This record gives sequence, C-alpha cells and structure tokens, in this order.
Amino acid sequence: MSKEIDINVEHLTRVEGHGNIILNSKNGNIQKLQWQVSEAPRFFEAMLRGRHYDELRTITSRICGICSIGHSLASLKATEDALDLKITDQTAVLRRLAINAENMQSHILHVGYLAVPDLFGVGSVFPIAGSKNNDTLLKIVKLHRISNEMSDLICGRTTHPIRLVVGGFSMLPTEKQLLKLKGRLEEGLSVTKEVAESILGVIGNLPDFERKTEYIGLTSEEEYALYDGDISSTDTGILKNYKDYREYMKEYVVPQSTAKYAKHKRDSYMVGALARFNLNSEQLHPISKEVAKLFDLKPICYNPFMNNIAQVVEFVHNIEDSIIIIDNIIDKGLEEEQPVKVKKKKGNGVGVVEVPRGILVHDYTLDENGKCIKANCIIPTNQNHANIQKDMEEFAPKIIDKPEKEIELNLEMLVRAYDPCISCSTHYLDVKFV
Amino acid sequence: MDNKNEVKTLSYSNFDEFIKNLIREKKYDLIGVKEKGKRFVFDIIESPEELRLDYDVTILPPKKYFLPQIEVLMDYKLKDKSKAKENMDIKSQIIIGVHPYDIIAIQQSDKIYLDEQKDDFYKKRRENNIIIGSEIQNVSDRSFAGSMNTHLTDSGYDLFITDLGSKYAITIGSKKGKELLVKHSKFKDAKSSDIKKIEKIRSKIKSKFKKEVKIPKEEWTKYLVANYDNSLWEERANKCMECSSCTMVCPTCYCYDVQDEVSLNMKQGKRYRTWDGCLIRDFTKIGSGEVFRQDIKDRYRHRFYRKGNYLPERYDFVACVGCGRCGIACLPDIADPCDLINELSRFDKDEKTDKFFIKQDTEVKEKGIIHIPRSATIKKIEKLTDREKLFKIELDDKKSLGHKPGQFVELSILGIGESPISISSAPTDAPTFELVIRKVGNVTGKMFELKKGDKIGIRGPFGNGFNVKAMENKDIIFVCAGLGVAPLRSLINYVSDKKNRNKFKKIKVLYGCKQPCEAMFLDELEGLKSCEDFTCKLTVDKCPEDEEWDNEIGLITTLFPKLDFDKNRAEDTISVICGPPIVYKFVIKNLKEMKIPDKNIFVSLERRMKCGVGKCGHCQINGVYVCKEGPVFRYSDVKDLPEAFE
Amino acid sequence: MKAKVAFFDFSSCEGCQLQIANLEEEILDLIDIVEVVSFREVMKEHSDDYDIAIIEGSIMRPMDVERIKKIRKNAKILIALGACATIGGINKIRNQWSPENVKKEVYGNENLKGNKFFDVFKTKAVDEVVDVDYYIHGCPINREEFKKVITSVALGKKPEIPNYPVCVECKKNENICLFELGKFCLGPITRAGCNSICPSNGSACEGCRGILKKPETECIMDILKRYDLTYEEMKSRCKMYNYNQEECK
Repeated sequence: MSKEIDINVEHLTRVEGHGNIILNSKNGNIQKLQWQVSEAPRFFEAMLRGRHYDELRTITSRICGICSIGHSLASLKATEDALDLKITDQTAVLRRLAINAENMQSHILHVGYLAVPDLFGVGSVFPIAGSKNNDTLLKIVKLHRISNEMSDLICGRTTHPIRLVVGGFSMLPTEKQLLKLKGRLEEGLSVTKEVAESILGVIGNLPDFERKTEYIGLTSEEEYALYDGDISSTDTGILKNYKDYREYMKEYVVPQSTAKYAKHKRDSYMVGALARFNLNSEQLHPISKEVAKLFDLKPICYNPFMNNIAQVVEFVHNIEDSIIIIDNIIDKGLEEEQPVKVKKKKGNGVGVVEVPRGILVHDYTLDENGKCIKANCIIPTNQNHANIQKDMEEFAPKIIDKPEKEIELNLEMLVRAYDPCISCSTHYLDVKFV
Repeated sequence: MDNKNEVKTLSYSNFDEFIKNLIREKKYDLIGVKEKGKRFVFDIIESPEELRLDYDVTILPPKKYFLPQIEVLMDYKLKDKSKAKENMDIKSQIIIGVHPYDIIAIQQSDKIYLDEQKDDFYKKRRENNIIIGSEIQNVSDRSFAGSMNTHLTDSGYDLFITDLGSKYAITIGSKKGKELLVKHSKFKDAKSSDIKKIEKIRSKIKSKFKKEVKIPKEEWTKYLVANYDNSLWEERANKCMECSSCTMVCPTCYCYDVQDEVSLNMKQGKRYRTWDGCLIRDFTKIGSGEVFRQDIKDRYRHRFYRKGNYLPERYDFVACVGCGRCGIACLPDIADPCDLINELSRFDKDEKTDKFFIKQDTEVKEKGIIHIPRSATIKKIEKLTDREKLFKIELDDKKSLGHKPGQFVELSILGIGESPISISSAPTDAPTFELVIRKVGNVTGKMFELKKGDKIGIRGPFGNGFNVKAMENKDIIFVCAGLGVAPLRSLINYVSDKKNRNKFKKIKVLYGCKQPCEAMFLDELEGLKSCEDFTCKLTVDKCPEDEEWDNEIGLITTLFPKLDFDKNRAEDTISVICGPPIVYKFVIKNLKEMKIPDKNIFVSLERRMKCGVGKCGHCQINGVYVCKEGPVFRYSDVKDLPEAFE
Repeated sequence: MKAKVAFFDFSSCEGCQLQIANLEEEILDLIDIVEVVSFREVMKEHSDDYDIAIIEGSIMRPMDVERIKKIRKNAKILIALGACATIGGINKIRNQWSPENVKKEVYGNENLKGNKFFDVFKTKAVDEVVDVDYYIHGCPINREEFKKVITSVALGKKPEIPNYPVCVECKKNENICLFELGKFCLGPITRAGCNSICPSNGSACEGCRGILKKPETECIMDILKRYDLTYEEMKSRCKMYNYNQEECK
C-alpha cells in the first residue's frame, strides 16, 4: 500500500506570527518534516541605533502586540541596570502586578481563543458562540476582560503600555482603584474554576506524548519567579551571573527559519509556562496547586501539549498573587512617587523577565549621552523553535498511520501548544554602533 | 427679595461641618476645587480637607457642568426611527469655589442659552445646580480679571464665601442658597465689623493682578472694528498651531458640534453634542466639502472679534472675563486677549461698532425642545437629475410646517446625522413641504437610498425667510444659479400662487446651470409662463453634443442684456439671487449696472448650519448667524461683511 | 445581507488585531453585524470571497506587494488598521538607512540574495502601494474608533475621523499640559481620535496617529525656547512614527 502524505500548512492559523508546517512521507517513511519560520524580518535591531534610553521601551514594546508589557519591562530592567538605577520597592511590586496582568491576558487568550477550539472540534472561537458551550465562551471572555482591566489600570493600556517608564511609573493607580480591581479579581477567581472544569471535560482530546526535554526559566527563593529571579535549568541548576546568559542560551542559524534557534546542553530546550511549572511548582499559590492536581499535572511533565494546562494553572496563580499584592499595597499605603531621576552614564545592562511564552532577555549598552550603541535580545519563542522541530521529529512517526487530516491537526496542535509568538522571535536585537 | 446680600458668618470648624453635611446630602453631588498635580480642577469633593478655596485658576472653567464636554441629547433605536427619546438624566450639583469671573461667564452663557429659543438641557442643568462663589485669594500671573472688573460680583451666585482670616463670611444670593445654609450649618449673623472686613478684602483684590489690560473692555469693540485688516493678525496667526486649546479652556466659548453614534450591535444609537472650536479648520466645513474662513489668520482673528465685537453687539457684554486660562494653555502664547488688545491700543479706533453685525428682529416660534427632531414621512420621491431628487414630506403629527419661503429645516436621519436643507416649496402647499436633496455627503447620500413611506426627522423651520412684505407692489427678478433654484422655488411658487399673485408686479425668472442634464423644474417654470406678467429665461454654460437644449447658451450673466428691463423701474424692482458663492459677485455687478439699489437685492447665503438656533456657532459670517439673521439677507446689510462673499 | 470581512496582517506586531479580540463581549456584536470570513490569528477558516478587507502592517517586500494587490482586487472596501498600515509607523524608522545597510547590521555577511523572505525595500504604508478607503490610526488602534468606523461602514456612511489635534481631546479631559511638566509632546500637531490616552497617563504624545500639519518653523522654535528644549530633540521625536512624512522634515 503506497500511502503518500503531503502536508503543507502555510501560515499556521491561531498562532501569533507566520510559520509553516511541512510533512512529506511515503509508505510511512518521513522524507521531509519541517517547522519553517517565514515571518518578515522588521530589523528592530537596526532601528535602535542611536536612540535615547527613554525611547527604547517604546520601540521594543512594538516587537509584539501580545507581550508588549513583557518587552517593556525587560527593556526597562536592562536600561536601569545599565544606568545603575535602583527602583523603589513600590515600583517593583506594581511591576509584578503588571507582569501578572500580562500573563493572565496572554494565557487566557491563548488557551481560550487559540487552543481550546481544537479541543471543542471547531475552527475558531466564533462557532462556540450560541452553541451549547456558549456559557464557557462568555466566561473566557470575562476573564480576558478582567485581565485587561488590570493592565489598563496599572500600565495605562494593555497593548503598548504607557505608564511604564525608566525609574518607575508616569502615573500611579489610586488605592480606591486597586480595591475595585481586587473585587474584580475575586470574581475572576470563581469563574476560573468553572472554566477549568469545562476544559477538563474535553482534555481527553490532548495527545498523550512525551519526550525528555531540558526546561529553562527564572527561579527565585522568594516567589514563583516572573519579574525577578535567577536563570535556571532542569538539567544544570542556577546560573551564577545573569550577565552570562549566553552560556545557557546559545543561538544558531538554520536555513528554514528567519528566526535563529537556541540550545544549551541538549539539541534544544523549552521555555514557557510548562518550563516554569517544572522548575517552580512548589511555589504556586494554593488554589492553583489544586487546579494542577485536577488535571494531574505534576513536575516534571515532559508532554508539550500540557503547556496549555500549565497556562491555566499559572493564570489561577496570577490572580491569587495579584490579590495578595494589592492587599499588601493597601496595608502599607500607596506613596505618590515620581520616577527615580536618571544620571546619564556609560554602561551595560541586562534585564531578564518571564513573559507568558518564556524567559526573555534584553541586553543594552549605552554611551555617556544615554544613547543605545549595542543591544541584544533573546526571545522566548526563538528558544522554542528548535524544541518544536525536535518534538515534531519524534511525534510524527508515532501518528503517521492516522488519516492525513488528523496528522495535520495533531501537528498544528503541537505547535499551538507552545503558544509561539513568531513576530517576536524574528526580532532579536543585535546592534553594533556604526 | 430681601434674602439678597444678607451676610452670615461661620467659624472655620462650622464651615467644615457645613461641607461635611453637603457631602452627605444625597440630593446633590458636592463639586469643589481641588488639587490636580500642580494645578487645580473642579471635581467631586469627598472631604473638607480636599477643598482648596485658595486656588488661583482651574484648568477648565465650571462651564463643563452646564455644557458638558460630551452631552447625550437623545437615544434611539435604529429599527424604530420615529421614537427618539431625549436623554435628560441630569444630576443635581452644588458647585463650590466659583470665582467672580467664572460666575460672570455663566451669566453670559445664560443670555445665550436661555434666550427666546431656550436650550432645555442647559436650562435643566442650571436649575439643578447651586453655585457657591468664593473670593479670589490667589491670582494666576496670566489673569487680568482686575482690569476687566470681573474680580468682583454681586449677583449670579446662591451663596458667596469670603475668608475673613478668623472665620468665613457667607453672602446670601438667593432663596436656594439661604435654604442650604439654614439646613446644613450653624451660622451667625454678620456684625458690621465683618462687613467692613469684607469690603477691605475686596478693595485689595484688584492690586493682586500683575497683568493689566490698557483699554477698558467697553472700548475693545472700537479698536477691533477699526483694525480688521491690520497686519498684526497675520503676524500672530503665523505662530498658531490650530490646536484650539484656547477655546476649550475658555469660560465664554460655547460652540458645539452634534454627532450621531451607533452601538456595535447596530441596534441602538445616540445623538450627542461635544465642544467644538472655531480655530479648527473643519469648523465651517459643509457637506460638499467647502471650508469657509480657511486661512488661519481669519480663524485666529475671528475668535477675538467674537469676544470683543460680535457678541458685545448682540448681547451687550464683552465675552472675555480675564481669567487667563487661554494665556496658560496657548503654547506659542498668542491667545491672550490682554496682550492682543494692548498691542491694538497703539492703533486707531472707530466709533461705528456695528459694522460686522446686523440688527434684525427675527420672528421666533417657541417650538419646545429645540434639539429633538419631529418624526416625518416621505410621501413622494421624484428624480430631478442624476444627483438631485425632490422629496415631498409630511410631519407625522399632520401639522403644517408653517414655514416662510427662504427658511430651511434640519433633516435628520438617525444613526447618520443631520443636514440643513432649504425648503423648496411654498407654504401654500401645506401640510406637505418639499426638499430638493443633492447627494453630497452622508446624510444626503443616505436620503437617496430611502423610499416612499420611510421615516426621517425634521427640526425647524429655521432662519430668516424672504421679506415678502417688502416685495409687495414691486417687480421681482429671480436669479437662480445651479442648485440655487431649489430655495428660490419656494418664493417663486409663493408669489405666483393665485392667492398672492396680485400683490406683486412683473416677475422675471433667470435660471442658469452648467449643462442641460443639470436643469430642474423646467416643466414647472414652463407652466408658470402662463401666469400673468411672468417671464422666464433659461441658459446653460455649455451644451454637450449628446444633449438637447432649446434655450440660451452662455453664463447666467449673459441673460441680463436680454431682459426687457425698464431702468426707470429700478427703484421699484427687487432682485433675489441664490447660487454658488462665485456667482454673486458677477450678478450683483449686473444688477448695479441696472441701477437696482442695494437694499432691493436679496441673497440667500449658505454656511454650515448645525443647531439652527444661533448657539453652536458654526454658521457665522462675522457677527451674523446665517441660521438666525439669514439665510436670506438684504445685500445692503451684508455687502460690507468681509466674510460674506468669500 | 451581512458584509463579509477579512483580516490580513503584513509586517506588524499584530497588536491592532489583538484590539479586536480585546472588544471582549462586544466581539459577539461584531460577528452579529458582519460575517468574518478570514482572521488568521483566531480562526482556521479562510475564504477569498470578502467585501471588506482590513489590513494591519506595513509593506516591505515584493511578495507583500503581490499579496496586497490581490487583496485590493478582491475587496470592495479596504481599511488600513493601525499605524504600520496607515502611515508606516515604527517600521519606518529603518528608512533612515538603506535596506542593504540594515540587512548587514542584522544578518552580517550572510548571503541572502535570492531569498524572497529577505528581499526588503524601504518600508511603505499600505496607501503607498494600493488605494485605501478608510483609515483607523494609532499604535495600537483605539477600540472606540474601530467600532465607529465599522458601524459607519455597515451603515453605508463615510466614517468621520478627527481632522484636529490631540490638544482638543486632551483639554476636554482636563489633563495638565505635558509641556507644563517639562516634556515635549507632539499633541498639538498629531491627529486626535485616541482620546489623548498618552497625555492622560502622564506620557507625552508620540505622534502615532500621524502628523496633521507642519507647523511654521517660527512657531516651533518659539515653543522650544519657551520650554527649554532643542530642535534636534524635537525632530528626533517626530522621527519615531512619522519619519518621511513631508510635514516632519
């Protein structure tokens, strides 16, 4: 029996950015299997040349529409590191709220709008409206709305934040507004449990696949690390000096991708919610731990499809965390602080944060006038591309006997599970001052 | 009323109690002056500590409580176009801390918005508000209220607070104010020493102002009227950024725009009004895209004339209270009237201050709420040309529109907007009336898609119609150019109607358009020729090969020599002109050659009419409102208005 | 008959399309009034039969030109969504240098000849390649304005977007002028319609909705002097979103 399979998914849907999946096989022998990144390069690296330190955050925010807060924070951390500028405790705490908000917004968008339709057997979230699952859809929308309300309040705007500036915030929320937000978060918490249960109902549609993988993310003794922490690997543990990030994240070029690949000890590694869970699950807040149990998610989980579930778990954790943070702020009282004043100086700085899709690094060098002369950026999805390719290479043979449409859907679901942010990944920054 | 000017006193702690009680009072919101960063604003007060009566000037004046930045006029459902509900959900407020210059500005806006065509929203807001004024303690260095005599006022407030240093003096200005004081505070009667202290404090206020205007405000109008063409307008306007910040922060600027907005589900919509500014280029833009007062110099100058000459002529007050907000807001610093007038003071003045204004007694029919359209139905549609249609309309309450020839209506299509359209039929055709619609924009475009039986909204009739009395016993020459025939038709049909014909002498109609396919009402005009002493001459600028045309070819002015005109009748001949702006210059030249006096010539001018009642400010030709004193004007009245024939 | 709408993205961050998702519950209203037949970011289905095409992103490569021309042919109405599409946006910063210079900067001496993915020319806004019917400005777009434009198109009326500067909205919002706080704000020359969101959050306007008019140099110099700022700094700020706009030279 000669069975020819030709899958050519051009511009994969329900992911951010442009990527293609190619699979050619004959009689069960896979001849070509590729994850191609075709996203147009926008040359951000070149555009930062000579720009004032004030503008770096604005420009890098535009690398990605979904993780713009993450890019802004990494950028600010790198800039402040280069300027030797120390932010206040209040700023650090409010920035944690911002990163929680972005994590929430991104995860619910990904799980609810981009991934879940596959589980419900439909092409998009639109057919779910008016169907028997309409209720679930409305709940997902409500959670998305609450996440956006939070980042609107803290950052001024969820996409391309306004209030995040070097040294602090251009405007602070009021205590009254924070209390109102807390009320909304508490509402969100009860709705989340219901959504988790609906997903549990269709979870059987997630393939049961495992491949031993290295996971890299931030880790911290104080908390489930998102804003601050040390770079850590499930294989080798904590990296001593954050400025040596290149030791753990080695980038290299491959012909089928306009984005670079990355590796550490193995041929590839994974970053993102599942990686963070595998590194830090002990530090999750109680209700999110319950949700993990509900889905039988335990460290170390080697099934990339479970990244979706790790996102649900993180979402719950972020809400719990935000409520605790707001309580602490109200207890202490909110100070009317201005951003810390900048003293221009030459220097190099590195900012590392966890954005929804994984660990993000911005590395800037500034001259004595505060202008950027050198910059580098390691994007989470960059770091995942190699792992996607390796996963596909191990997964495809296992499903090669299924009908073509099913193979195609499964490969798509695999890529989607990573929640790739492809626009981001083609815009690493590598600037040399001319 | 003997409550007026009674003075009471409150100790500082009793005053705090008073404020607390006002905050607790459920019937009202307490609005007062509080800090916003380095500046001050009027906003909801939640505790006495927030109140800052020692402020210099707020960013925005209290006008935002009477004419909000955005105000919904009515809600409607798109499916049921006949039912539009006005949205008068207006909260009651106590506004505390209003300085005298802002109180005076409110009194000025009362004169404008509560005239014979009362704005009901404004009226309700004024009724629902209690104004508690307060003495000026600190002064912004841009303010010149002292030399404007707006630093003190003895009316316009319900209560007025003066800080005596050891306690507050409260001057009672109205019954409402007294009731408030009685209900919520433990006051004492003022002693004569208190009154003396108030007078002493007030006498010192004027000297706090660093800025002074050199010419008393009553004289501004004379300097303005003499310097319309002064080069300083252009020099200053060159720096203007057209940002209109000056009008936004001004307590005496009241112009607004009206727009429709529809919800995303396309089921409901609302019509709202929002602040507009005459510095904005599109302020005067009409449906066809034409913009009047295009040059920034003209717009820059216009604002000062409105404040210093046009409004003073119309209402007898100078529409500037010296608050200094525009001076603070203007980045290139050219908006400050004090600086401007001080510069003008070097030049001559002119005693004839009404050059840019027309005193006209317009007959106004109080028609209830002026913003909400009445429902009407399209009874008949007739295609006139490729881009014009004739609509016969009847109001749903079956009442006649009661219009005069020359007036216009505001045609409303819910969800799309409103457009001013001249009435094309004589009132003798009641109860229906006719509109000629040319498809140029959103409203007119939508109108074209409607069918017989569809519903629309009508507001009006508005405007000054033709003075038919002045035309009695005279010959009339109609000059209709292009679409100008539409409004003139109302008068042509009126004078040639059997009931009226004998009141007028010879009637001559000259009608010209670009080419034959654009001509309208040819059959009707043909039919009127059978009327007594009625001649009609038609012409087109050119006639393309594929079109038929039996009449003259040439510009409309070429018809004049062909007129059988008796020069001795010139004094007793009326001429009525309507057409695109370019036509007037040439036609009037012809009429002058025929020795027809300027006062016998009537023109119908078009501008952007939005509200129809002389409030929104868009239709101004210098100091004249086209929607009130026009659209019909005597040429003698407008010939010297610089903006009339742009 | 509901109009068929398709979303397309070119070189962008997809933040503007995200704003559609950020309509939250109202997205159900949207799919009630139009039929979304293609929206790669959130749905699998795609159709080439559409009335209205909404474009996010700038045009950078010949393969993009081909694609947009095909879309323009298919669509009755084409709407440019967001700064990258309407004016070129941030993507235009790199137009200060040649494409060769910029490619070398990023990819070094890598031989990219013949690789169509890397064949870039200077960034173009959509209307520099095909006719655009309506514009929804901003980086990202303002959801309220999006609703206004979509409902106008659905009603068959031409959307009315502001032709006046941000200052009008900023003053209506009673913000403290950023100039008074020592910052240089492009509000006075930038198109309104965003409800002055950046100044309302304490941040100077960066001109992301497009420059309205070139202010007289005399005027600008006066203002700069009054607020102690340099001409170079102002020009640099203009260059962020509006590089190459005639108004900003």
